[in-house]
Amino acid sequence: MDANQLLQEFESFKGQLKSYILRITTSVHDTEDILQETYIKAQEKLHTFKGESSLKTWVFAIGSNLAKDFLRAKKRWPENVTDICKDAALNNQEFFKESMGIRMTSPQGNFEIKEHVAFCFTCVSRSLPLEQQLVIFLKEVYHFQNKEIADIIDNTEAMVKYYLNEGRSKMVEVFDHRCSLINKKGVCHQCTELNGIYNPKQNAQEEIVKIKMAREAEKASKEELFKLRMKILEELDPFESGASELQLHHLEHNRGVMEKYLEKD
Amino acid sequence: MKFLITILTIMMTTAATAQNAKTTKSTFNQVTTVSIDINADPAIIWSLLTNASDFTRWNSTVTMLEGEIKLGEKIRLKSVLDEKRVFKIKIKEMNPETSMTWGDGKGSRVFILQELGNGITRFTMTEKIGGLTFPMWAKYLPPFEENFDQYASDLKKEAEAIAN
Repeated sequence: MDANQLLQEFESFKGQLKSYILRITTSVHDTEDILQETYIKAQEKLHTFKGESSLKTWVFAIGSNLAKDFLRAKKRWPENVTDICKDAALNNQEFFKESMGIRMTSPQGNFEIKEHVAFCFTCVSRSLPLEQQLVIFLKEVYHFQNKEIADIIDNTEAMVKYYLNEGRSKMVEVFDHRCSLINKKGVCHQCTELNGIYNPKQNAQEEIVKIKMAREAEKASKEELFKLRMKILEELDPFESGASELQLHHLEHNRGVMEKYLEKD
Repeated sequence: MKFLITILTIMMTTAATAQNAKTTKSTFNQVTTVSIDINADPAIIWSLLTNASDFTRWNSTVTMLEGEIKLGEKIRLKSVLDEKRVFKIKIKEMNPETSMTWGDGKGSRVFILQELGNGITRFTMTEKIGGLTFPMWAKYLPPFEENFDQYASDLKKEAEAIAN
């Protein structure tokens, strides 16, 4: 494998790696830095790549380690992160001014409920222990095999299975309790509330039924609904979609709010 | 017919739960032990046994567990055996994926994991309680066997669900 081959292969999965790092770190700026550093490290260490795993797995391991280093000293977020950030947004007129500006002027400033579902999962998944968060994304969204995930996180397949089970169980319960799209008693209606603000002429119910997870809510099990939630993330590129600028703006807002909130904690 | 169904239900429940916990009593102490073979890697079983925040999800014999299961730490635990009482237990020994000892003033509980090959791990849990005053309070102790069997069955069920 030479530098040219590395560049070619890196380009083929760069989008996935970038969205993975964003979903782990929830920081747009740091994602760019970590992505660049991943490539530089891969180039420097290319001579050590023996082909025991795929190049993609090997590079994801480098990116994961850099993301872990970035997150190691940071506290994990609480499950109700979106409630905390909503309160902060309601007290921040500047935030809504900026958001409406993006909504009105940017080609990537649309608001779509399913985009917010993905955004919401990204935020709430930071309440999981880091290893569980990594494994959930690697398995459920980027479809690595358990053996590959074990290589990426430098652990055993048995522990990958354990982290997966733990992470899934927790997220299934959190969303079953919180998400009003899948549970009528769910306490969070943020996606439909925001839809009312950004798309005032739209009927939120008509938008909701376009989402399979919401359509299946009454008949599917909690676990199946979790799978459908993961499918939404899998199908969206948070940097390339028609709603990406607005959602990334929201994500930066939430990250800033949580950093301040956890400093006080 | 109804009688037959009841008998079958009891037999099926019995088959699904380990039924091998035993208690040996002597004047100043009693020892209860249970052992079960689990088709899972010891790392998975160890993780289940040491993740305090997840304990009550899979273990139906424990209704509350607060604190961290780490060497030298103290945990607070409630058991279905006596839901009004909070046990304050110290983590006295930890040998990752091999053994662990919890204890308080009245006794100790030892967990042992033993790899048998072919992906099977034997889990053994032994509790010894007693002391000089044991004869005075022994009569108030509930039977432990069913609780130990359930503990072992819950662990087996969860670990095998994760592993397979």
